[in-house]
Amino acid sequence: MPVRSDFEHQRLSRRSFLKTAAGTVAVTILGLPGGGGQRAMAAGAGSSPLGPVPGVAAQRVEGLAKVTGQKIFARDHNARDMEGWPDKQWHAMYLRARTTQEAFLGIDLTVMPPEAQPTKQILADDLDPRLFDVPLAFNRDLHVDARLIEREAAETGADKSSFNQPDGLQFDLLVMPGYTANYLGQAVALLLFDSLSAYRAAHRFLAFDDGRVQRYGAGKGPEGTPAPNTPFNYPTHYVKSGDFSYAAAKTSEVYDAGLADAEAEIAAALAEPGLLQQPISIDMRAMDPMFMEPEAGLVWVDMQAKEMNVVLGTQSPDGDVQNIASMFKSDGSPIRDLQGVTLTSCYPGGGFGGRDSSPFSLMLALAGAFADGNPVRLAYDRFEQFRVGLKRHATKAEGTLYANPDMTLEAIDLSMVFDGGGRRNLSPYVASLGALCAGGSYSFPMANIRAEAEHTENISGGSQRGFGGPQAYFAIETAMDDLAVAQGWDPVAFRRANLIEEGGQTVVGGPIEQSLRLSDMMDIAEGHPLWADRAGIKAAYENAAGHENRRYGTGIAMSLQAYGTSGDGMVAAVKLARDGTLTVQSDAVDMGNGSATTLGVTIGPILGANATTVDMGGYTLFPQTQMSDVRSDVDLWTVDPMWTKKGTGSSSACLTGLHQVHTVQQTAMALLRGSLLVAAAEVWGLDGLEPEDAVWVDGMLVPLGGGEPLPLRLLAEMVYDLGLPTGALGHAYFQNTWVEAEFDTRGGALRLQLDGLAYYTEDGDTPTPIARQNGSYPAPGTARYSRYVWAPCINVVGASVDTTTGDVRVENVLSVLNAGYIHVPQMVSGQSQGGVAMAISYALLEDMPPGMAGPADGTWNLNRYHVARATDVPLGGVYAPGARAQELITLDPPPGTGRVGRGIAEAVMCSVPPAISNALRDATGVRFGSLPITPEKVLEGLKT
Amino acid sequence: MTIRLTVNGTAHEIPDSRGTDTLLDFLHDDLNLTGTKFCCGIGVCRACTVQVSEPLNPVPTPTISCSTALATLNGTEVSTIESVARDGQPDPVQQAFLDAFAFQCGYCAPGFVMAARMFLMGLRAQPVPEDQLESAMMDAMGTHICRCTGYVRYFDALRSLATSINAGEAIEL
Repeated sequence: MPVRSDFEHQRLSRRSFLKTAAGTVAVTILGLPGGGGQRAMAAGAGSSPLGPVPGVAAQRVEGLAKVTGQKIFARDHNARDMEGWPDKQWHAMYLRARTTQEAFLGIDLTVMPPEAQPTKQILADDLDPRLFDVPLAFNRDLHVDARLIEREAAETGADKSSFNQPDGLQFDLLVMPGYTANYLGQAVALLLFDSLSAYRAAHRFLAFDDGRVQRYGAGKGPEGTPAPNTPFNYPTHYVKSGDFSYAAAKTSEVYDAGLADAEAEIAAALAEPGLLQQPISIDMRAMDPMFMEPEAGLVWVDMQAKEMNVVLGTQSPDGDVQNIASMFKSDGSPIRDLQGVTLTSCYPGGGFGGRDSSPFSLMLALAGAFADGNPVRLAYDRFEQFRVGLKRHATKAEGTLYANPDMTLEAIDLSMVFDGGGRRNLSPYVASLGALCAGGSYSFPMANIRAEAEHTENISGGSQRGFGGPQAYFAIETAMDDLAVAQGWDPVAFRRANLIEEGGQTVVGGPIEQSLRLSDMMDIAEGHPLWADRAGIKAAYENAAGHENRRYGTGIAMSLQAYGTSGDGMVAAVKLARDGTLTVQSDAVDMGNGSATTLGVTIGPILGANATTVDMGGYTLFPQTQMSDVRSDVDLWTVDPMWTKKGTGSSSACLTGLHQVHTVQQTAMALLRGSLLVAAAEVWGLDGLEPEDAVWVDGMLVPLGGGEPLPLRLLAEMVYDLGLPTGALGHAYFQNTWVEAEFDTRGGALRLQLDGLAYYTEDGDTPTPIARQNGSYPAPGTARYSRYVWAPCINVVGASVDTTTGDVRVENVLSVLNAGYIHVPQMVSGQSQGGVAMAISYALLEDMPPGMAGPADGTWNLNRYHVARATDVPLGGVYAPGARAQELITLDPPPGTGRVGRGIAEAVMCSVPPAISNALRDATGVRFGSLPITPEKVLEGLKT
Repeated sequence: MTIRLTVNGTAHEIPDSRGTDTLLDFLHDDLNLTGTKFCCGIGVCRACTVQVSEPLNPVPTPTISCSTALATLNGTEVSTIESVARDGQPDPVQQAFLDAFAFQCGYCAPGFVMAARMFLMGLRAQPVPEDQLESAMMDAMGTHICRCTGYVRYFDALRSLATSINAGEAIEL
């Protein structure tokens, strides 16, 4: 555990300032005491836990802490574990709305036994209404945000520069007595307990029925939400016909003006005789991310320092802290004159999107504000997590696929409705990406795709692995198979005839400017015995003893999952200690996907050693760059050399392979060229040194022109002695291309794919920024492409079904994946394996009814919500006849493409569910288009 | 009456009035041993698995600490994940899981480690025919839930250790 002085030093060094509508708040990020949390440190002094081979990970950087049960998750912590906190801890509990049909009138705790009585109870009328009306930072997906801003401004005349989230749903933390809840599970009251025993007693008393202390009756309707079953702002509508498309239109206004004509043009074209039509009709239940650690956290408002201290494991630390700061710095805040927010960022115990912009952080902060200066713990149990945690949206999609008799696709017409549930959250963004994914991996001359997220009384949907992709790919890939079967076409040949490739256009109208190699992937899938020998495998399986009632089928499906958003900003620091050890810091969060490990080794080939320490979740890094990301109608790249279009965003696993790695690599390169090579040139008596003049061998920099090799440790000492930069802080921005610019450094003018650079020196934790020059920037219109980079995947599934019980078993899976350069092979295959398991679970097992028949009633847990176990998943690694396996084949990146990976965390799972459904159709002749495909649905389908 | 048990070798006396408290709550709240994880709280996921030995049955038993009342543990010896590593060094099971990149978020890892250790101890005491090893592994570990990894790497690591131990190789657990 650090000594106090170290702790304070760390606190100060990671402090920065955030401007809210009501004033400036200091924000600070801390690693956990003892080096846990999002800080992964060396097992031994001077050695990297990642192993000695630069660029190669021997194990996860935080693996030892996890496998030995150290305190690294938010749930592991109590106030007594936190340095400088009071030991006395309160406990918080929220009561949840049980109906949207009657008004919530209040609570009556007199029925609770004395030992279960709370110390305080807070209802919405205890809060200042101004607390609910705080403008928020808003930068999830730039092209969607731009659309929202344009339309909001047009409709309301709102100030574009301080966009307030529509629908008034962000701060509806408690239902106002006398009003009807907006949705099931919405909090109606906050109970605070000053002892664990009282909390436990109340928890036992209220378990499975917190309605016994709630009163409902006649009152006012819900406030602040759209009417039930109307969409959250704004629905997505992609129409593509000829030269008209979303991407081709310069603004949403221009696009909207042309929509009607384009739709009419499409309708006329599709009315021509001779086109083949395949109806699309699919639906799926909501899905719980079921990350293993239910959300939990600590909060302590230090009344003297007027600081809020939060311990949390989140995928969106920057957004969460900004929202907390904005809310509690506002005029309506119960905390007067809040000066700072400090986040201790923990490793999340799983995420999958469920901890991205989760309301939990605000619920936690609210509890802290009313605890009279005592630390408070809020820890959902699994029932509560099922009851209120963000879900993958239940979805329905209806439409038609149009093709010509020569197998070429003509158009897709699709309407997707996502059940957004109570809160708006990220649902419109999910719908927007779902609309893009609906075009699948194919080239369509025409498209008319509508996607909206509706407000309902159900549990809120949010960001989940695939972000609309799983639903969309299920729609198109089952339709492709149905049309192939109906026409007697080979499903592979049909897909081959329509593959989108470099130079093509998505249904948004954006160009594909990246090599996809779909044809190469299809060659591999088609030639693999699981597909090529499928008739023989089927015969052998069905004739085997014990399989008298089982039928076997093979299905294929593709996905073209994008990674990143329409504009992504990332920040990273690479620091060199005097002893030659290296630290990587990133704003990314590692939910288990391995970002920390990957970023720790990616500097190895550049700096001669892997990182000894990797700090994740560093949302204070961006303020250290001193850059501005002020929202602007026009790009300010050439006006302000310190401006960027996006500082940082939420962490998703698929941002690692390309985006975060690139940022760390470029920052490491800035440190090498702006410092280490300068020191080496000094030692070797050279005027200058370029990276190609020397190589790293066994931790030593070796000059190719001859000279004494220099160990990194010695170089580090030289760097410090010469007063050279001891660390670099880089910011990168990607929008179809990387921003690229020149920076004046001690090593001369460096051209880097960064839009911001600063250097640390020995005696300062505040880096000195360098203004960029001679930059090249993305064309503004490219944001309307929606997405730019892709991780294609083809899945072949062999599945069997018992026609008497409806039991479905996935026997084999083949995944062919274009992952680009693979930084850590074990991580990529691990993501693939996890994706296969989650997809099998989603397709066959996870069944969650809406309304009070589902988890919203507070009685759902793993006894009735089933997720895949080991027996549900093929565990073998290479296909062999008669055995179960999941085989992953990745494409070798073409020579000369460098260490550029692709974000694949979502890619594999997206096309497994349609491949399962296609396999079942092959086995039974029946299309199962409703997920999950339960035994009951199978038996019902077989009757028809 | 007092409930007497040991946790990682340290003796504890607990008032009988707390007999309905779960072992997991006792580990977390009283002993600040949080390596054992709370996930479902109803004994399904097995993230909270610990090792319990009884006087009359010294063979360690995998025990679901979230659903085990303290009253049922009088006289037992409880071992948690915190007792496994020696001098900060991972034991063979932990090292195998590390080497295989078996876990991702890691929240289920302590439960897998504890269950794997007890399975391997049992295997060492009573090897099984090689063609039954896979089903024995599945019996021991197949009900543990992992949401991140798809189980493949956990079972790869376990299979490697189990094969060695089943063949009589001396691996200290």
